Amino acid sequence: MNTLFKPDETFRDDFSYRNSAQAIRRFPLPFPEDDYMYSVNIEPHVSGPKGSVVEFAFDVDEHYVAECRERELVLAAEPLRFQALPHMLSAQWDCLELIMESLARDYPAHFSLARRSNHWRWINRPLGLDQQFIFGDVDTLPRQPLDYIGRQAQGDFVVMDQREGDLWTEAGMVTTQADWSLDFDIGMTFKEWHGPVPLAHEMSVFDRALKYLLNLRLGQPVRRLNWTMTVHPRLDTSPENYPKWGPDRATVTAQNAGDLVHLRVELQGLWRLPRSNAIVFGVRCYLISMRELATVPKWARRMHRVLENLHPALVDYKGLTRYRDAVVEWLAPYDDGKPTSPGTAPE
Amino acid sequence: MNDAQTLAVEVAAIEQVTPLIKHFTLTSADGGALPAFSGGSHIIVVMRGALRMHRNPYSLLSSPHQLDAYEIGVRRMEESRGGSHFMHDQVRVGSRLEIAHPVNLFGLDKIARKHVLIAGGIGITPFLAQLEDLHDGTVPYELHYSVRSPEHAAFLNRLREREDDKVRMYYDSETQAVDFDGLLSNQPLGTHVYVCGPAGLINRVITTAKSCGWPDSHVHWEQFSAPPVGDAFDVFLARAKLTVHVPPDQSLLESIEAAGVEVPYLCRGGVCGFCQTRVLELDGELLHNDHFLSDADKARGKNIMPCVSRARCKNLVLDL
Amino acid sequence: MLITGIKSKPVYAPLRADVGGRYHLMLGIGPGGIALLRVLAEMRESAPQAIANARLLFVPEAADATDTVEQFKQIGLGSMSLFDDGASLLDTFRTVLAESFMGTRLYVAGPESFIGLAMKIALEFDLNKDEIRAEEIGTLARRVYCVHCRTATEEVRTNIVRCTGCARWLLVRDHYSRRLAAYMGVMVDAEAPGELPPLKEIYL
Repeated sequence: MNTLFKPDETFRDDFSYRNSAQAIRRFPLPFPEDDYMYSVNIEPHVSGPKGSVVEFAFDVDEHYVAECRERELVLAAEPLRFQALPHMLSAQWDCLELIMESLARDYPAHFSLARRSNHWRWINRPLGLDQQFIFGDVDTLPRQPLDYIGRQAQGDFVVMDQREGDLWTEAGMVTTQADWSLDFDIGMTFKEWHGPVPLAHEMSVFDRALKYLLNLRLGQPVRRLNWTMTVHPRLDTSPENYPKWGPDRATVTAQNAGDLVHLRVELQGLWRLPRSNAIVFGVRCYLISMRELATVPKWARRMHRVLENLHPALVDYKGLTRYRDAVVEWLAPYDDGKPTSPGTAPE
Repeated sequence: MNDAQTLAVEVAAIEQVTPLIKHFTLTSADGGALPAFSGGSHIIVVMRGALRMHRNPYSLLSSPHQLDAYEIGVRRMEESRGGSHFMHDQVRVGSRLEIAHPVNLFGLDKIARKHVLIAGGIGITPFLAQLEDLHDGTVPYELHYSVRSPEHAAFLNRLREREDDKVRMYYDSETQAVDFDGLLSNQPLGTHVYVCGPAGLINRVITTAKSCGWPDSHVHWEQFSAPPVGDAFDVFLARAKLTVHVPPDQSLLESIEAAGVEVPYLCRGGVCGFCQTRVLELDGELLHNDHFLSDADKARGKNIMPCVSRARCKNLVLDL
Repeated sequence: MLITGIKSKPVYAPLRADVGGRYHLMLGIGPGGIALLRVLAEMRESAPQAIANARLLFVPEAADATDTVEQFKQIGLGSMSLFDDGASLLDTFRTVLAESFMGTRLYVAGPESFIGLAMKIALEFDLNKDEIRAEEIGTLARRVYCVHCRTATEEVRTNIVRCTGCARWLLVRDHYSRRLAAYMGVMVDAEAPGELPPLKEIYL
């Protein structure tokens, strides 16, 4: 794949982030139909169509270099956006192996991994890194394993230990989240961490999801999609920085919604880890402005309808209250009432 | 899991380590490294015999830090349905086998402040792998290993070399028995106890721990017993529209698999719940041998674990 | 920001004796003593030998304190220690845990913030929910952790509170962290500065 990186894109200040036409076409729309409600909606994370965001285990796209730079900025200001409880070190190594192996296998033009027993050499060409180290020996890496490789991957990583019939959130690299705090949540069980999500508890979605994940097998990862919206292509919408991005919500109008409001889709992958028997939860974030989205007629119609009909509790929980109507108004001219085909592919 | 996700391995070495136990070393058939795993994991070994297939779980006893080979220990079972006999009698150096990816249903608790390991006979195997992780000594641990006599103490040399002061042996032949009550009465908070071996040993530990006030979450056990035998019976699979005959020495799961129908499974020992199957019709009684369903669920008779449970019936229809 | 319906808020139940345990460690503050007496009375009925294996750490408070202490003395507990305040009780609690054995059950009765701090210490010794029972008695006042400046503000009785660290007005959410023994506080007027919901005393 011939990725042209756009290293100077920004996700703050002047927000120069834009999607190329190719990035728009491969965008993972999370709405297979005109109505949206939660479901577990898990499927095997196997290789999908060529060029799609699920062709490979971890997707590297045109925003890779810029996102890594953005992550460095977040961590420089707030080191606690990476945390790992002491007993999670072997899980961190598992994550490092998973990410390095996958990237080197799937993007050989960009990444190389050479291994002689536990002597490893990792080369990351887009970021200009060449690192020799001993797998399992933390002193041979400049940072803890998940911290080190997390800075070279797009999306957040949350690692859960499995014990006492439950999953415990005990390590993570979290800089591109949709409004949850690793610092506050670290140490929580699966259901505690999902506490704030409305409705899903009544639907016992989390009971079923937990049971499923406890039996997640090595070599058989799964994935699902989740979504919300963000004003400006801002990756860091953490509760910590809510004072910075919260005010943006009040600046949306029916005129500027097309450029300001972005659909934010999380491609979530879950892998069983071998040495620690833990589970890593990868949350890969994709952003597209309403204007870019509307270049695909079917998507414009669908987005309009999903937003118009969204359950009030979801509107509230996803933080859309202040500007949902403005976006619906901006999208309205694109919705001619014609039927949309099932599935997410552009027509 | 199903058989589509197996790895091909070759038997690199076989050693008779006690009169009843053989030690097998398995390497990847294509010469690469085997998948990494956590101590306490087991693999399902798929054995294609002349008359039938066997799928037996065996704990990995090799070090999780050495991935050029997997090692398992197989005890020759007296009343075998054939799996252990197959391993002992038919498998040679150079034989090819299929194995599933390791699964861990018996892992060490990562925030335990102490680990007490209790092994009986062949039950030593998962602990050998776990000891490699415990060896750095950051968390205190001790192993209590009970066997019928010194010649039946598999891998004792390996243990003495690596863990001498942490291993205590008990020989039935010298009437040495673990003082379970004493052992479990004075452990510091945050201790976890792990037991692997015959059913009697496991039950003793579970009962004693309970009477000493331990919560269930601190008591871990693993038992690889063969599915119980029983009278033959027939079962009808509603979706496959097949009648399957279950002979006395083959489990319900094995019989269904032999008929070409796949059932998801993980442990094949009635513990994990993965093979849980809905009962659509029953004229007779279910013989539940699992540890997964609650007593209430067993009484309701709407679900069955085909890996270990059977039936005595005129009519049984399953949702398969 | 969602105010209601969050499912990570801890749920408490009236204390019951757990006679499956071999040793019983009880912590109480003020009116919490009544709940612990009730547990001991239950034990006297069903498993009287357990009382000799019960140890109490207690902070007597208010007028009925002498009476409660007297009742504890009458019941024949294994041991009883009295403290002037929660902080000194919790110091001793940590030492006691270090000397305790598997088979111990922990009972905590008092205000939620005290329970939270006791649980934090219990976590260090890998005591889990099967070994701990807690009943909330006394003030519902909360410890609030500001996610912006990471300061904890104590004794919060209102739906919003001014952070003692960064002075922002925080919404007191129901999202609770056992590790921090605190509820989450997030800036309430980020989207519309100065627009605060009416101040209400709800955690009394």
